[in-house]
Amino acid sequence: MAGQPDLGRGDLVAMLAQLTHRSTDQPDRIGSMELAWLVHMVEQRYGRRLDLTDDQLAGIRTVDDALVIFQNALAAADG
Amino acid sequence: MNGNPSSRDSDVTDPDWVDDFLFTGNPADVCFRLPDPVDRGTLHRLVTEAQTHLRAAGLRPGGAVALRLPPSLAYVVHLLATWRSGAQAILLDHRLTDHEVDRALRRLTPQAVVAPVHTGGGALRVFVEVTEGVTPYGDRPAATAHAVIQLSSGSTGPAKVIGRTAADLVAEVRRYTQLDGVALPGERLILLPSMVHVLGLVGGLLYGLHAGVELVPPERLSGAAVLDAIGAADSPATVLGVPFHIGLLAATQLDRPLPMFARMITGGELVPASTVHSFTDRFGVPLGNMYGMTEVGVIGTDLHGQHRPGIIPAPGIDVRAVAGELRVSCPASPYLGHTDPSRWSEGWLHTRDAGTVDPDSGLVTIRGRLDSQVSVGGMKVDLTEVENTVAELPGVAAAVVVWDDGITAYVQPVGTLAEETLDQQLAERLASYKRPRTLRLLEQLPRTTTGKLVRSVETLRTAGTS
Repeated sequence: MAGQPDLGRGDLVAMLAQLTHRSTDQPDRIGSMELAWLVHMVEQRYGRRLDLTDDQLAGIRTVDDALVIFQNALAAADG
Repeated sequence: MNGNPSSRDSDVTDPDWVDDFLFTGNPADVCFRLPDPVDRGTLHRLVTEAQTHLRAAGLRPGGAVALRLPPSLAYVVHLLATWRSGAQAILLDHRLTDHEVDRALRRLTPQAVVAPVHTGGGALRVFVEVTEGVTPYGDRPAATAHAVIQLSSGSTGPAKVIGRTAADLVAEVRRYTQLDGVALPGERLILLPSMVHVLGLVGGLLYGLHAGVELVPPERLSGAAVLDAIGAADSPATVLGVPFHIGLLAATQLDRPLPMFARMITGGELVPASTVHSFTDRFGVPLGNMYGMTEVGVIGTDLHGQHRPGIIPAPGIDVRAVAGELRVSCPASPYLGHTDPSRWSEGWLHTRDAGTVDPDSGLVTIRGRLDSQVSVGGMKVDLTEVENTVAELPGVAAAVVVWDDGITAYVQPVGTLAEETLDQQLAERLASYKRPRTLRLLEQLPRTTTGKLVRSVETLRTAGTS
């Protein structure tokens, strides 16, 4: 599936679960550490670097925010 | 001014220690790779120039400079310039809010503040490109003769204020030089922890400068970037980080052999055995562990990963357990202002870590905190500070903040209080790493029959979901 922006919210929640060692009930809010983890995991999954700016990351406060930014970055890379 | 009897005896006003202890070695020796090399001669020139700017902003020997900078060459240069000016450096984490910084500045009265005018370099940078500005602040001398002042999340006030003298810093660097397993002269240190905090500051920056170890911050915070930094040269590389970074590396695909990868060392909380195994299986190098505190720096180590979860006290450091609490030798109180005797007394720092000292081997085992302090990505956060901040917000009747796999706040509002308003107010008052990851608004917080707030995570969880 590499190269396809098929990333869903459930994927991000599962990635966070690997960090927190919690299987369910991930908090909605994410901090800088969780965000770095998600970027890393998404990059590992797709085998490419997400081209993100500091301002984009600074605007991410929740898992849903992150999903939109990541999907756009993946789509932009495909385009 | 303060209750620290020895602070005035330190040599903060003697700037020679910077040249004599940190700037020894050949001017052509590389001290940083960013990734472009920065040699000692260049660093020395930048520091001298920065001294001129600080002086122009009103800094005088015996004064203080507040550094509100992210890890960057600008931070390193202005830190060394401050010390070389015979002044005190007040280190303010760049993530602190204006509210937190203003409170610190009013108390610590620097003569100048150095802060970014512009930052760049892209997202997730470990080392940031900074254009700094130097702003005059006051004209009073430093509150104490410490070389460095650091803030630590506190259980009673807004923050504990911790001071260390130049002699303290030199002594800690010398402890590092006596440890078996640290990066050696001519080797490289892949530096992940912030140099604003004790591990990255002394174990990274100051040790590296003194010992002639090249400091290499990865291009950004990702597993691939760390592996790139390791593989960028043939000389042995030690990765210094916190437990979060172990997970990051363990979750990275290794696409080439890295024979120069010598060791990873982490400070901060203990690492679960499963994480240790997944790391060592993947990389085949030792995973060392360090235990330290802002107040005294490195206390003990297990740099070969042979004594987990035990650590060996660092040379010159005595550790003993008193009533289940670890105490560490610390001749003078590290705290500014009144020293709480439950934190330091008679030459011993009370760590508030539960632990034991094996009488035969001397190995120290840490068994968790005795207070409300937690570690968030290696940063110490006292839940009491978070709880007090939440409880003091307008519209909040009562609040309980607990650790439930993350900082979790249960809030009883006075009337109607939108979660977004609460979020916004907290963002103005607390640095991001201190803020609750989960907020639960409850009409009534659970209380005991005598009306005290209940702190049981289980009870709060139930109340939060019902």
